Amino acid sequence: MAVTNQGMPPGTFPEGDQYLDFVRRRRRVGTFFRTLFFLATVLGIVILATLLLDVTNDTFGYVAVQNQVDPETVIDRYYKERMLSMPRTVTSEDDVVLAEGVAVRANAIGFFGYAYYQERTDTLRALALDGVEPTAENAASGQYFLARPLYIYTSERLLRQRPEVAAFVDFFLQNAAEVAQEAGYITPGEQDLAEGRRLWQETTGLTASPAANTLPADSVIRAAGSSTVQPITARVAERFKAETGFAGEVVVEGGGTLAGFRRLCRDQDIQIANASRAMERPDVNTCRGNKVEPLAFDIGTDAISVVVSQQNDFLPAGLTREQLRKIFIEAERWSDVDPSWPNKPILRFIPGADSGTLDYFVSQVYGDSLDDLPREDLLAILETNISAGRLRALNAERPVEERSTEEIYDLVIAEVIKPRVVESWSFTESLFRRAEIEAAVAEIPNASMEFRRWLTWEFIRSPQSSVPTLAGIRTAIFGSLWVTLIAFLVAVPLGVAAATYLEEYSKGTRLDGIIETNINNLAGVPSIIYGMLGLAVFVRFFGQITSGLAFGIGDPSTANGRTILSAGLTLGLLILPLVIINAREAIRAVPRALREAAYGLGATKWQTVRSHVLPYALPGILTGVILSVSRAFGETAPLIVVGVSTFIVIDPSGPFSKFTTLPAQIYQWVSRPQEEFQRIAAAAILVLLTLLLLVNATAIYLRNRFSRRY
Amino acid sequence: MAANPSPNGASADSKYAIEARNLNVFYGGFHAVKDINLKIERQKITALIGPSGCGKSTVLRAFNRMNDLIPVARTEGEVLFHGKNIYDPDVDAVEVRRRVGMVFQKPNPFPKSIYENIAWGARINGFKGNMDDLVEEALRGAALWDEVKDKLKESGYSLSGGQQQRLCIARAIAVKPEIILMDEPASALDPIATLRIEELMKDLVKNYTIIIVTHNMQQAARVSDYTAFFTVTPERTGYLEEFGPTKEIFTNPKSKITEDYITGRFG
Ligand SMILES: Nc1ncnc2c1ncn2[C@@H]1O[C@H](COP(=O)(O)OP(=O)(O)O)[C@@H](O)[C@H]1O
Ligand SMILES: [Mg+2]
Repeated sequence: MAVTNQGMPPGTFPEGDQYLDFVRRRRRVGTFFRTLFFLATVLGIVILATLLLDVTNDTFGYVAVQNQVDPETVIDRYYKERMLSMPRTVTSEDDVVLAEGVAVRANAIGFFGYAYYQERTDTLRALALDGVEPTAENAASGQYFLARPLYIYTSERLLRQRPEVAAFVDFFLQNAAEVAQEAGYITPGEQDLAEGRRLWQETTGLTASPAANTLPADSVIRAAGSSTVQPITARVAERFKAETGFAGEVVVEGGGTLAGFRRLCRDQDIQIANASRAMERPDVNTCRGNKVEPLAFDIGTDAISVVVSQQNDFLPAGLTREQLRKIFIEAERWSDVDPSWPNKPILRFIPGADSGTLDYFVSQVYGDSLDDLPREDLLAILETNISAGRLRALNAERPVEERSTEEIYDLVIAEVIKPRVVESWSFTESLFRRAEIEAAVAEIPNASMEFRRWLTWEFIRSPQSSVPTLAGIRTAIFGSLWVTLIAFLVAVPLGVAAATYLEEYSKGTRLDGIIETNINNLAGVPSIIYGMLGLAVFVRFFGQITSGLAFGIGDPSTANGRTILSAGLTLGLLILPLVIINAREAIRAVPRALREAAYGLGATKWQTVRSHVLPYALPGILTGVILSVSRAFGETAPLIVVGVSTFIVIDPSGPFSKFTTLPAQIYQWVSRPQEEFQRIAAAAILVLLTLLLLVNATAIYLRNRFSRRY
Repeated sequence: MAANPSPNGASADSKYAIEARNLNVFYGGFHAVKDINLKIERQKITALIGPSGCGKSTVLRAFNRMNDLIPVARTEGEVLFHGKNIYDPDVDAVEVRRRVGMVFQKPNPFPKSIYENIAWGARINGFKGNMDDLVEEALRGAALWDEVKDKLKESGYSLSGGQQQRLCIARAIAVKPEIILMDEPASALDPIATLRIEELMKDLVKNYTIIIVTHNMQQAARVSDYTAFFTVTPERTGYLEEFGPTKEIFTNPKSKITEDYITGRFG
């Protein structure tokens, strides 16, 4: 079907193929614009999504929580003190004293290193714990709860590249069983040693150590870490020098397991780390973060024997953990623990306060985590670790004795442990850089890694605080709602009235013209100018009224007029032109036919406006109101000028209160240098956006209900 | 102005319901119609015809001061209603409009229920009687009752165009006017709906004086008792060319222009 020029001179319109070409060209123009509009829409959506993602990204993620006080230390100290303060308790750093003290007393009980018991099985009886016999096998397998495996750590690279280290580790493994026994520990299992040797061979690629005389004479092997392992390593070191003729030096230091791991991997100033526990994920991450691949060698087990004299004829073969707990911190007499036992005083023989054995006993028997502790102990820990004044204050709120276990637990955390978020990471960092984060957290003493939602109910419900983890936005939300409500109450009636006047009643006089021009210009005035107007008029000039003093109900602390009322009035003025312009537009859009219909029936102007014009314009007016209220809700600059409070923890109680608003709060937080404030700012932004959405959705819902017109 | 002596608006003192004397209307500087002299007889249908833009609507709207709503419009001359010039300063346009009702070219029911469409006019005019009865009476008067009696709560917009226009007529008669002005009331309707409106007019004219603007010659011939033919000067100012009983205008026009227009040789 070709287009032809019917009866017209050829070429008047494009014809035939030329016409089809022409159509195609027109289509291309259409396609171009369609694509352009589509891209604009996509761009808009992408920008919005990026914004949301960015904010959300900051709202969730890992944090490093550092306890001001290590809970283990608190618990240890508490139970150690209780154990040491029990009557009829003998303490000694010398295990022999303890062993002999128990041996000769039928009513005595004590505990010390496994080795000492082994030497005195004729006078002492070791007790099973929770039904597990204190044998070497049970200790090595971990079933006996007062036992822990001991390790030495080195790194793959050291083992391969430093022959003296390889030789030392090999010598250690060959002599571990003997040395452990000498030092009073349980010897490592055959299998564990074989496993260690296999690891050694695989790593070094050798079957036997290089001869000691081939080792560099000036080399130093440095070991550090657990003081429990220290004597074993020290003894091995001595024998290594004596038996192999190693010309270099071996230095063995203490410092604790964690310090050993750090020095091996991070500081890399030691070659052997002594450890009384295996590396955990954060430790391994620290190592790998420093390109160190740690290798563990099992070199024995440390166990504690709980013993009574062979003369003791009333105790059964074993005790439960519960009975053990009672015996050392509570019971005065044996019959207190079990009524069937004799009513005789308990005599206790325990290692001294400085010994690692006591620490280990406490952590295993009484727990090393706060949530394992019974209520009374938590309460006691709380009472002994806070100042008397603070305790009085807490008791004044509500006697701590009357509070629930959970509350007491929370109090211990808040008042004693005082965890603080010392570092935080965004969601994407948490997802993709977990290992790095773990390594970084491992660097921080007493810190643990937690996944944290910064946006929680707690955050929404709590008042402001200078500690970001405790800060909340309740005050700001109330402030925002109050200020916006007042702005709404001021701007909407005034604005709609003005719009109605200008559209329906104005006769187009010069005054009307001036008013009109003014309103249109006011809508473009920067909001900070409104802030200055508010400051001059509401805060300064009408301060007596806006602070409520004129009505005698003001709060003296807000007597300066920097109140919700001033802020609300300022924002009301700010959005007034917006309301007017939008309402006018809506009123102007009312069809003339509708007005004529009303007038044609003999309606007065007011009747027409009231019954037809305003109802018909209402949805449009409401659209303007929604826009304006959203604007007021999100406005910051003028409020800062009018005098938003920088730090306020009391909810506003009315128009004459001091206030802060969500955007102002966000602004303050964002301008703080600490990362954690950025996180809560992001969380607050999410809340702000949600509230805005909620306000808008409600308004749109109402508008649709109104506009469900006939 | 005197109150209505009888409910249907008939008055004994004159055979004319309304009268234009030397009526001139200006839109700003534009002289839209000039020197109109027109006497509208009681309980008759008077048709205003003429080419587009000759000022028929302008004249019609002058009869109930609807032109007041147009800011640039200015009216000179007199419109006598019950012997009183409705443009006198002591006359309130609101009262004039209540007594001289209007039906517009495009149906314009209120965005409210059918019931409310009728009741609103009565209510704002201070009606104290039984509203349900009034609504029914008005709807019956506009021959719409049977069609809508079961859905009075429904929107006026839910009706067809023809029904909407009859609703507007019912709305107009509910406030008991003496005169009903109709500006091309059937121009937006299909032929059947048009016919029903025409029948309705013939019915209404027993009680009301009707002035209708129409561009449809047959319609004027079919329904009207009198016809006023308007045309324009070269300056496009409208004036009344010829006025008389419809039969005479259509069969024996005095003016050549009228004849040309009616026979279709013009406009
Ligand atoms: N609101 C108005 N403002 C200015 N000129 C108008 C207005 N209404 C009508 N006119 C002009 O007045 C003249 C008569 O219009 P109108 O009465 O509507 O004619 P008709 O109804 O006979 O077609 C036309 O020239 C029209 O352009
Ligand atoms: Mg017209």
